[in-house]
Amino acid sequence: MLGSICACTELLAIVKSTSNIVGASDMAPPSLLETATVVEKMVTRNVDLRSDTVTKPTEAMRAAMASAEVDDDVLGYDPTALLLETEMAKMMGKEAALFVPSGTMGNLICVLVHCDIRGSEVILGDNCHINIYENGGISTIGGVHPRQVKNNDDGTIDIDLIEAAIRDPRGELMFPSTRLICLENSHANSGGRCLSVEYTDRVGEVAKKHGLKLHIDGARIFNASAALGVPVDRLVEAADSVSVCLSKGIGAPVGSVIVGSKNFITKAKRLRKTLGGGMRQIGILCAAALVALKENVGKLESDHKKTRLLADGLNEIKGLRVNPCSIETNIIFIDIVDGSRTTTEKIFKYLEERGILLMQEKASRLRVVLHHQISASDVQYTLSCFQQAVQIENGN
Amino acid sequence: MAKVAEKMVTRTVDLRSDTVTKPTETMRVAMANAEVDDDVLGRDPSCFRLEEEMAKITGKEAALFVPSGTMGNLISVLVHCDIRGSEVILGDNSHIHIYENGGIATLGGVHPRTVRNNEDGTMDIDLIEAAIRDPKGELVYPTTRLICLENSHGNTGGRCLSVEYTERVGEVAKQHGLKLHIDGARIFNASVALGVPVDRLVRAADSVSVCLSKGIGAPVGSVIVGSNSFITKARRLRKTLGGGMRQVGILCAAALVALHENVEKLESDHKNARFLADGLNEIKGLRVDTSSVETNIIYIEIEENSGTTAAKLSKDLEEYGILIMPMGTSRLRVVFHHQISDSDVRYTLSCFERAVAGEPNENGN
Repeated sequence: MLGSICACTELLAIVKSTSNIVGASDMAPPSLLETATVVEKMVTRNVDLRSDTVTKPTEAMRAAMASAEVDDDVLGYDPTALLLETEMAKMMGKEAALFVPSGTMGNLICVLVHCDIRGSEVILGDNCHINIYENGGISTIGGVHPRQVKNNDDGTIDIDLIEAAIRDPRGELMFPSTRLICLENSHANSGGRCLSVEYTDRVGEVAKKHGLKLHIDGARIFNASAALGVPVDRLVEAADSVSVCLSKGIGAPVGSVIVGSKNFITKAKRLRKTLGGGMRQIGILCAAALVALKENVGKLESDHKKTRLLADGLNEIKGLRVNPCSIETNIIFIDIVDGSRTTTEKIFKYLEERGILLMQEKASRLRVVLHHQISASDVQYTLSCFQQAVQIENGN
Repeated sequence: MAKVAEKMVTRTVDLRSDTVTKPTETMRVAMANAEVDDDVLGRDPSCFRLEEEMAKITGKEAALFVPSGTMGNLISVLVHCDIRGSEVILGDNSHIHIYENGGIATLGGVHPRTVRNNEDGTMDIDLIEAAIRDPKGELVYPTTRLICLENSHGNTGGRCLSVEYTERVGEVAKQHGLKLHIDGARIFNASVALGVPVDRLVRAADSVSVCLSKGIGAPVGSVIVGSNSFITKARRLRKTLGGGMRQVGILCAAALVALHENVEKLESDHKNARFLADGLNEIKGLRVDTSSVETNIIYIEIEENSGTTAAKLSKDLEEYGILIMPMGTSRLRVVFHHQISDSDVRYTLSCFERAVAGEPNENGN
């Protein structure tokens, strides 16, 4: 959609530059229609690398949604939602599951259910999604106090720092009560880094030792599982609850699923209603999610391959820097090298004019996220546009 | 015999709520073909269209699609009362107060001040005014910021608040610098029953929460409407609560069909409700206040001499395939929607007659 908007507004500028490139001054100028067609082909190509949430429903999903068996999931249960929840519980090796409208609600419910007593504290990474991108809801809505511990570049939090952050119950007169530790796998802000099963189990042991619960923000747990070659249920075995996104790399249009014990999910269902997430004939969305689970988990490895290819290519471009060690799944952070004449704004704009969308993280950083609706030729196209963008700014 | 019995019980007449409506063929086609995009990173085009249409229908500046009426009300109350220490005046028998898990308080930190709901769904204007906190007492009082009305009013039997009453409450609100929110889960029912266009009916309100998944028949969702600045804040709070969905146009496409096709069917739901109410009132042992049946909801009182209870009658009816909602020991609720046919209504009446009379149904039970 953005591509076609660009086409209208940028057409004139690109016609000019196109005719310069083809040396149109030496021959009869291409007809406006011809030029427009070439240009239109250029700018209406849409390579959306802003996030893996942009994935659109496939034909199979649309067919499934149209014929989904549904019922009122609040008054009773929706049969298709039940199918999805049963399947997810099985896949994740937990007793029960609950469909929720978003990953934010998934995390919010999990933190609030584990911390249902007023005066609770949760230990989490200072650079995790819950802390940075969820509007501080666990506090502003849930009244839970967040104890932030430094996230390392690889997405982990040092075990000894976690332990040091656990409140000593003898200080309870002035301390909140630590009830929960949260991990994030894969860890987005460090570039989609994977937490190993060994690390996860060690954190689980610390939690158990201190009578705490462990929640994993597994928005991209399937990516981590594919990258590590560890089955997803093994990967989250130590966790009391996990929040799993279906609307990201798995490609469903909407939703996440939380998994945990039966008792946990019963409380979660009630809190979901309170937050306003109790939807009626929800089987429509769950039908698409079931298709997504069947069809797209197997495609994640190829997203990771394309990501590595793009990352390597970008790292070759003088003026850009990608940390190759940090490319484990489907996310790339691209830094502008000091002294380079280009800026994130200029690259961002140049790419947008050519139908490539990505995210500006801050002054000197861009983010790219791959998903199954990005083809190998999209990756090539993106790489060449990046090359041109940087060359132009460096006066080549 | 078994075949006859089987035929009898596989007919289902679901009168538990108007939320049970299933998507129609046109809705399913619309959902399958819906144009979608990421509604968090940008705008989903089908959602945008729905929100524009709802804003126009209700006469407000902007609108926001939300997963449920509960979230619609929660967001509205919390946005109007975004300063800590706020109080909201609402009916003691309103949906927000009774059936929303007390979320405005437990999650939103807003203090509820309840005022008695009359049998017609209204609250006395003088009682509302008396409940407004005097700012001079602020050292010990919370600060009243909002009044909530509910139209149609669920717990009193789908009663309609007139446009005159609504505007009088609106004036009280304005006079005291308060906002007015209408829980308009069934505002279309009220509008049709009163013969007043929706936008006129809610003109005095700063915000309205409108359900699309009830009588209008969409599979999921509600829409909140209000000013541009209100909806901007609402969108942010929706994200915080976890209601920010991605390719949500699928659901919005069905909702658009619902708006186009089903608003005009509400009048016949009301006719069916009146027909059944009159019929039930004739049954010895049951009592319906037929003057309270204004829209699509009927409350049925079971009299002491009837020889049955809400639980028993509900179970007996279930064997005929009729699903209703028991409310307490001697009260039942029935809610109509467009997927209840005229013949379903007659069948329901005859089953009630048989069940109350204590006739064994033909299964030999």
